[in-house]
Amino acid sequence: MSVTRDEVLRIAQLAELDVAEEALPELAEQMSRILDYVAQLSGVPANGSVKVFVPGPDAIRFRTDEVSPAPLAFGPTEFAPAFKEGFFVVPKLGQFE
Amino acid sequence: MSDAKAVADRLVKAKRLNALLTPAKDLRKSLLAQAAVARPTGVLYGMPVAVKDNICTLEFTTTCGSRILEGYRSPYDATAVTKLKAAGALIAGKTNCDEFAMGSSTEHSAYGRVLHPLDKARVPGGSSGGSAALVGAGAVPAALGSETGGSVRQPASFCGIVGIKPTYGRVSRYGLVAFGSSLDQIGVLGRSVHDAARVLSVISGRDQRDSTCEDRDPLRLPTVPESLQGFVIGLPREYFPPELDPAVRRACERAVRLMKEQGAAVREVSLPHTAYAVPTYYVIAPAEASSNLARYDGVRYGPRFNGATDLRALYRSTRGQGFGPEVRRRILVGTYVLSSGYYDAYYRRAQQMRALIAQDFRNVFDRGVDLLFTPTTPTPAFKAGEKLGDPISMYLSDIFTVTANLAGLPAISVPIGRVKGLPIGGQLIGQAFLEDEMLEAAYALERVVSPTDEA
Repeated sequence: MSVTRDEVLRIAQLAELDVAEEALPELAEQMSRILDYVAQLSGVPANGSVKVFVPGPDAIRFRTDEVSPAPLAFGPTEFAPAFKEGFFVVPKLGQFE
Repeated sequence: MSDAKAVADRLVKAKRLNALLTPAKDLRKSLLAQAAVARPTGVLYGMPVAVKDNICTLEFTTTCGSRILEGYRSPYDATAVTKLKAAGALIAGKTNCDEFAMGSSTEHSAYGRVLHPLDKARVPGGSSGGSAALVGAGAVPAALGSETGGSVRQPASFCGIVGIKPTYGRVSRYGLVAFGSSLDQIGVLGRSVHDAARVLSVISGRDQRDSTCEDRDPLRLPTVPESLQGFVIGLPREYFPPELDPAVRRACERAVRLMKEQGAAVREVSLPHTAYAVPTYYVIAPAEASSNLARYDGVRYGPRFNGATDLRALYRSTRGQGFGPEVRRRILVGTYVLSSGYYDAYYRRAQQMRALIAQDFRNVFDRGVDLLFTPTTPTPAFKAGEKLGDPISMYLSDIFTVTANLAGLPAISVPIGRVKGLPIGGQLIGQAFLEDEMLEAAYALERVVSPTDEA
């Protein structure tokens, strides 16, 4: 198995995602299977000279540099969980390690 | 002009499929209001078009099939929706889908699974399964879907309808909720090539609000060709492996014969990196998803879960409870492959492989091949629950569709027959921005194929 329970926990922290204790073994097993599966890519000889493929226009089109706010039919008071006096309201910052 | 009330009645009648997320009452009210102001000179005047729930609409909620956006109303319309309205179309409700378009069966929706229109024990495919089921059941002539790895073509194949994924950059993505930004495109599902194509033509074209949308005029609809004389169609051998379902192979062979009879030249070709497409996709798509879905944190939109006492706990509890299992899995896989120490082994490798896959297509097209023909899916619709416990086997149902997304190419699925009573699609993959050629061939195939004949 390529991913351990502790690794799932560490990755979940990076992703800011609560994972229930009892879900850990199954998640570790499924992530391992997915990662083992995609690992077949490493069997292909690496070729540093391959140019990365990016779909879409070859160059970014520049717009004139002016403020043009997207016209919204209504503001955040309608869709935010908590919005007061022009601010999104959140709990205190707490401890960021 | 179809009567707005009749449109609503047809949609409500299809309720048993769980394909529509919009409540019947809201739908009726909105359709009447929309019909009253629809532009009579528009080319889609009065045509009801259902919209996948990951495309923002002012009418109705936009939940992406997720609890984390439960009740969310967008303050703007997606450009594709704005263009539909300007053409006189009626937005016929929001369709159920796999959460954030992640899935191939529409079983991963927080609002329950969608039933296949012909067999309720089976899945309609996904992630645009609600759109496909509604069109398949005859409730609407066309619907918008979205594609990241086959989410329009695969359900179109399963439901016996037409599904088009345009070239990357053909249709504006402003208002399409982002999943994998280098892959996502809005696509169209329709009951015929013409229905799908005319909706595509309306929603295509430049948009100031999306810098990945090419500066081009809207797609011009081709006419149905007299014959396929002059068309060179390639059959990539990697898409017809020995283990392919014999009935699917027979259906494809019949379609190829019909195209030949109309004058097409057919030759076998090779796309040697095809076997790596699904693993490449399942590195790149989750990586981009993990980044795009970072915005759902319980601060700006959607409900909050739990009475968190600090900000980080708010993020974690909202995301932990708001996302379903498949989305959680993909965010974790995406975070893993981008994390320090693993980036080169997974993400960089996948980027290199993607370039080789795109090169495979260029090589074939450079040698005079106009279009490729393949099965859209390796099997017809599978049973609900059959692949839920095994993510890899679910991912493999996209094996013939992901390549076009990785290479940014247009592709269409056309019904070509039945396998034990279930529809199966044939896929035409075209060259970038040559949708017109692809549609001509699709028209010609549709004209002669019997979609309900057993293969």
